[in-house]
This record gives sequence, structure tokens and C-alpha cells, in this order.
Amino acid sequence: MTGKSLAGGALTLLAMLWTGSATYAGIAQEQGRAVFVELDRRNSGYEDLQVDLTMVLRNSLGARSDRLLTIAQLEIPDGGDKLLIVFDTPKAIKGTALLSVGHLQEPDDQWLYLPALSRVKKIASRNKSGPFLGSEFAFEDLASPEVEKFDYQYLRRETLDDVACDVVQRIPRDEYSGYTRQIVWVDEESRVRRIDYYDRKESLLKTLTVSDFELHEDEFWKPARMFMENHENGKTTELLWSNFRFRVGLIDERDFSTNSLKRAR
Amino acid sequence: MVRRWFLVVAFAACLPAAADDTYQLVLGSFANPDNAERWAQQLTRQLRFPIGVAPLPHGSALGYRVVTAPLQGDDLQQAIRAIRAHGLDFWRLATPPTLPDAVAGEAPDVPEDRAAARVTSRAAPASAERRSSRDAAQQNFDVDIGVQWRGFPDQGLDGQSRSDASISVQSRYYASWASGAWNAAITPFGRYDAQDDHRTHADLREFYISTVGDDWDLYVGSRQIFWGVTEFNHLVDIINQTDLVEDIDGEVKLGQPMLNLSLVRTWGIVDFFVMPYFRERTFPGEDGRLRHLVPVDDGDVLYDAGKKQQHVDLAVRWAHNLGPVEFGLYQFSGTSRAPQLFPVLRPNGQLVLRPYYDLIEQTGLDAQVIVGDWAFKLEALSRAGQGNRYAAATGGFERTLVGVLGGRSDLGLVLEYIWDQRDDEADSIYDHDIAIAGRWRLNDVADSQALLGLMWDVRTDEYIVNLEASRRLGDRWSLGVEGRLFGGTNAPPTSPPAAVLDALADQEHKLDQLARDDYIQLELTRYF
Repeated sequence: MTGKSLAGGALTLLAMLWTGSATYAGIAQEQGRAVFVELDRRNSGYEDLQVDLTMVLRNSLGARSDRLLTIAQLEIPDGGDKLLIVFDTPKAIKGTALLSVGHLQEPDDQWLYLPALSRVKKIASRNKSGPFLGSEFAFEDLASPEVEKFDYQYLRRETLDDVACDVVQRIPRDEYSGYTRQIVWVDEESRVRRIDYYDRKESLLKTLTVSDFELHEDEFWKPARMFMENHENGKTTELLWSNFRFRVGLIDERDFSTNSLKRAR
Repeated sequence: MVRRWFLVVAFAACLPAAADDTYQLVLGSFANPDNAERWAQQLTRQLRFPIGVAPLPHGSALGYRVVTAPLQGDDLQQAIRAIRAHGLDFWRLATPPTLPDAVAGEAPDVPEDRAAARVTSRAAPASAERRSSRDAAQQNFDVDIGVQWRGFPDQGLDGQSRSDASISVQSRYYASWASGAWNAAITPFGRYDAQDDHRTHADLREFYISTVGDDWDLYVGSRQIFWGVTEFNHLVDIINQTDLVEDIDGEVKLGQPMLNLSLVRTWGIVDFFVMPYFRERTFPGEDGRLRHLVPVDDGDVLYDAGKKQQHVDLAVRWAHNLGPVEFGLYQFSGTSRAPQLFPVLRPNGQLVLRPYYDLIEQTGLDAQVIVGDWAFKLEALSRAGQGNRYAAATGGFERTLVGVLGGRSDLGLVLEYIWDQRDDEADSIYDHDIAIAGRWRLNDVADSQALLGLMWDVRTDEYIVNLEASRRLGDRWSLGVEGRLFGGTNAPPTSPPAAVLDALADQEHKLDQLARDDYIQLELTRYF
């Protein structure tokens, strides 16, 4: 950067401060938030869904390990969604199940059922930032993100792989989040295309690439593939979603209580 | 590019005018059109009917679908059968009356064309398809086989072997039908032990049928129920009898026959238990390790209850969580799971312990408060029926440190205090102890974890060091290591009988009986 352009930059910055950068920042926040309010709106109204998930874990040498899971999700109007995840393979953990009860603002509550001990164990909230099933996903990457759990900043409009996207920075409000910030690319159909995760050291930790979208129930775009790459250790995790079933008729008390953990096989 | 649209157009041309119930079957979606093309060609060869590629209607860069031609009636059914016969997944796409321009190969950038991609799982045919697969009975069957070896540095007090090998098999059959409204499970377990004929045993861990309503569960049969929150002492856990020969930590349980009704309410979950049959605790035999100074004669059991094992035990429990707090409060009325053991001299001169099972009334509470990375835990009970009414409690905390030692792993630090109002008169080793532990989870692909704990009796300076570690080896194997060390102990005398009786009655040095039983255990499990 030449001295001249640096000076020019400083001048522009000064001008911005002068003309009310606070308003400018305020608009960027509102604009960023609006992207996720719309995303949330477009993802609401599904009532409930069930989906099968294959996780493909690869280390930097390419050694592969798979996990099969079934996920049931229940929409709670004006509340956080509920999630029941049942592990099918590896066989050593078959029948292990995780119940997550979302909250709009506070951290979610989670219970883990361990079939070997018949024990339902509540998980401390800090554990949610750790690797999920040894993968490159943390649980917080999988849970449906409530709008109020982040602060937003609209960054720019940008074309990503020929698709026009809004690029928004979001900062988790949960002090136990593993991230200082995330940069999210959202396309015009309100589909998240990519997320860059920055860790507590402010370095780019992971990149999530989302693809193979399909429209379900005439209104919900769901990706068939999510690819997480950890830049720190070279490991990757691929999530392959299949067999989406919407509006199955799941019931809160029946399918999302700690009782349901014990019978989830 | 023209070629792949050509196929689709060709299908369309071959078909009669599309009616409402015309569908394309989608066999996959790809970002890369070449991959889609390859898959389509492979499927065409495999299924012996033409499969084409269509772009996702919202902009050609977004993706490519591998699809059949629009089909209806018998053609549709036939295609579905063929696809299923090859074990392939598919979903249905409603086809608009006329094919959109997109499929004809022109720039597919008209948003209205989204109509072409509408998945109609809500429309009757597709959703009926999916729901019926959920309605169908689900069942699965699993078996795991474990080979276990225990090594003891010392011979047992009665000269028992320094090494013990055993093999165990557990299988589980689980069935669910009527959309999950009915479930059944059978989980037989068996172990063959080379040294101890009492450790060679079998049990039905589970054998139940259950039915599920909108806000209730009803179970009939044998089940496993665990209550409690603390790490070292499972004080309030009472429904299932301990399978003590499996592990002295009391975490392995025998199946308990029961009728259990569980109600889910906004103010918590209420469970009612009626338990018509009592299970006796398992004890190591004469040749077994980790036993009392003299063997327990489990063929000669005494009961407080007139109906003995047929006495009906009852329990009711209310569990709830309020924000960071969760708790369970219960009342149990029935036969104590832990027997009192009375020394008896047999006619042949052998000294044995005779179990006596009291009738008790017990109120129990377990509670946990989780705040950030802290979990505060408490278990407490009040019991009547074994001597005077008494109280006991275990409480402490666990703190989880995330991202230690290399970033991925977490370390849980546990500190608990164990208290029993009866002091040394308590019938267990959990009377006045401080326990600390570190639990390390690597969060790696193999789910490696290790727990190192120390429980120290503040009054007598006896202590137990406990190590448990495990990891998976590939997808179908796992390896476990366990070790225990009983410290601050002195080996008690094994004769004459008067001295043995004194040792058995020594409430201050309960661990002495295990003085020679330090051990390390390796277990390799294969999952089928």
C-alpha cells in the first residue's frame, strides 16, 4: 500500500466518522440481522421433521470413519426448537441419544442417554463447543441457530461460485461458544452457502461449504451435503442428509422428553 | 450440454399428456454436471430404462438432478419397483403439465420454474409412501462379545488365582411397530468365567414390552432404571439389583421385573413402579476375587418379607427440570437391594456370610444444578427399616474444562464428599470419604477417554484408586482398561475362626478384606 492511498484511506475513515459512523454501523447491524430474520422465517413452519444423517470423518491422511444418525426435530412456535439425535453406528455407541431443548436466548439444555448404563445425563453447556462425535462439527454448528443468539454485521454482497450472496458477520452471544465470530454467505433463497468460523485466537478455524439443495414441501430448501474443513488439523467432516420426512406428526411430550431418549433406538 | 437435455425431452415426447399424478423420480443431486451425467449413465445401464439429468430450476449453477422421465400409473409403479429392487433411494418430483423451458435446454433462469422442482411429499402419494415406511415394524438385532482378563499382583487371601479370564455375550433384539406406539426389547447377557463359578452367570438385562401414548409410557417386563447424578457413590439408585460379580462399582445391574407407568406433565415426569419379583444380589464364589473375607452363601438367603422374593415393591418418583436445576424425588417401599451379611458357621466348620434382605422405606433425592462449566450435584436419602432410620448423602461438583491439552479434549474435574449418618456402622465403604477424579475425553474419532479417581476415607485413611479408560478400535471393536488399588489396608487373618469373625466385624477397616485384590482388567469387545 502506498503512502498516498493509506492517507486517502485515513481521510475516508475520518469522513465517515465525521458524518456519523454510528448510524452507518447501525444500518449494517440491522441489515445483517434482517438476512437472518428472513432465513429464520423461511425455515419456520415445518412443524416437525425426521432425517437420516451420515457423517463421513476423514483425517489429513484420508483415513475414513462413518457414523449414522437419525435426527428428529420439532418446531416450537415462539420457542427454541427441540432436537433428538439417535446414534446408530459405530455399534459401540448404538442407542446413545441426545436431546436438545433450544431456548431463544439462553443456552440450550441437553441430555445424553447412555444405554450401557441406562443413564440420562445432563450436559454442561460448555461441552457444546467441543467436537461432536469426534467430528469437525461442534454441536453448536448443528443446532438451528436462533436469531437472538448472535449480533450481526452486514459486510458485503458477493458472488460465491456464481451465486449472488449476502455476506454477514455474526458474533455468538453465548460466552461458551467456541467462536469469536462467523462469516456467513447467504444466497437469495435464504440458504446458507458457506460459513467461516473464527476461533478464540481470532484465526480462521473451519470452513463449512453447503451444497446440493433440494426443495421440500414446496417451501423448505434443505442441503443434501455439508462439508466442514478444519484448517488447523487438516481433518474434514462431510454430512450427507437424506430421507427428509416433514410433518410426520411428532409430539412434544411423547417424542422430545427425557423418556423418549430411553426408547430411541 | 445439449445431449443431456435431449434425453429428458425425449422422455417427454414419448409420454402422453401429463396428468396431475405425473412424477419424476429423483435419484440424486449433484453440483457437478459431469458427475450427474456419469451417475445417470450408470443407472440407465443398471435399471435398464432411461435416466436423464435435469438442472435444478433456480439457475443452472445450483445443481443437477438425476431423474427419470415424467411417469404415471403403471409405468410409475414399475419404475419404483425397479429402483427399490436395486436398493436405491429416490424421491418424487411433481411434474407440471408441460415441461418447463429449463428441461428443454434453454437458460433456466426463470424463477417461476421452481414449480418444476416442487417436492410433493405433502401430496398424497409421496407422503403416504414415506409414512408407510415409518408405520412398518422396525426391528434390529445386535450382538457383542467381550473377552476379559483380570490380573492380580497377589494371590487371594484364600489362595485364589492371580489371573482370571472370562468371556461375555450380550445380544439385543429390539422391535418397534405401529409408528413406534409399541416397542419390545430382549437383552440376554451371559458370562463364562474360568475361575469363579458364581461369575459364570446369565441374566435378562431387558425383557419388556411397552406402549407409548401422547404423554405417557407403559412398560411391562424387566428393565434397567438408573437414578442419580454423582460419580463415585450411586446412593439413591435403587430399582435394579447390583450384578456385583460383574463389577464392584455397582454400575452393572440385573434386569428388574416391573410394571412402570410414566406420565409426562408440564410440571415434570412422574413414574410409578410396581415390582412383583425381587432379584438377589450376585456375589463372587469361593474361588472368586474381589469378595468378602469369607464367601457369601447365596443359596441360603433370609428375607424380612413374608413372601420373600414375591413381595411386591413399590416406588413413585417425580423428576423435573427448571432452568439450570434438575431434580428427582422418590419414595421406595420394599425389599432393600443391599443385604445385611451375617457370619454363619456351617456344620462342616466353614464360615460363610448369610444375606438378609430387610424391608425398607426410603425417600431419595437427586439434584443437579448446571451453571456454565460447573455442575453441582447432590444425592440424599433417608431410610427406615435397617435398624434406626438414618440419612446419607453424597454431594459435590464437576467442572469441565474445554479445549485442554491440544485443543480438542476436555477435562472434567470431580470433587465429592460422601457422608452416612451411621458413620462406621454403615454397611458400605461409603461412610465418610472424600473423592476426587479427573475425566479426560479426547473427543477423537476413537472416542478415547480416561478416568482417574481417588476415594479416601478421611477417618481411617483407607483409599481406593480407580482407573477406567476406553477407546474404539475401528468401527466394530473397543478396548477397555480398568484398574483398582486398595490402599491403607492390612490383610486380615484367614484363621482361626474367632480372628476371622473379628475381622468381619471390623467396621473401621472395611477395605481390609480387599487388601490383596488390587487388579488390572483388560477387555476387548467386538460388536456384530
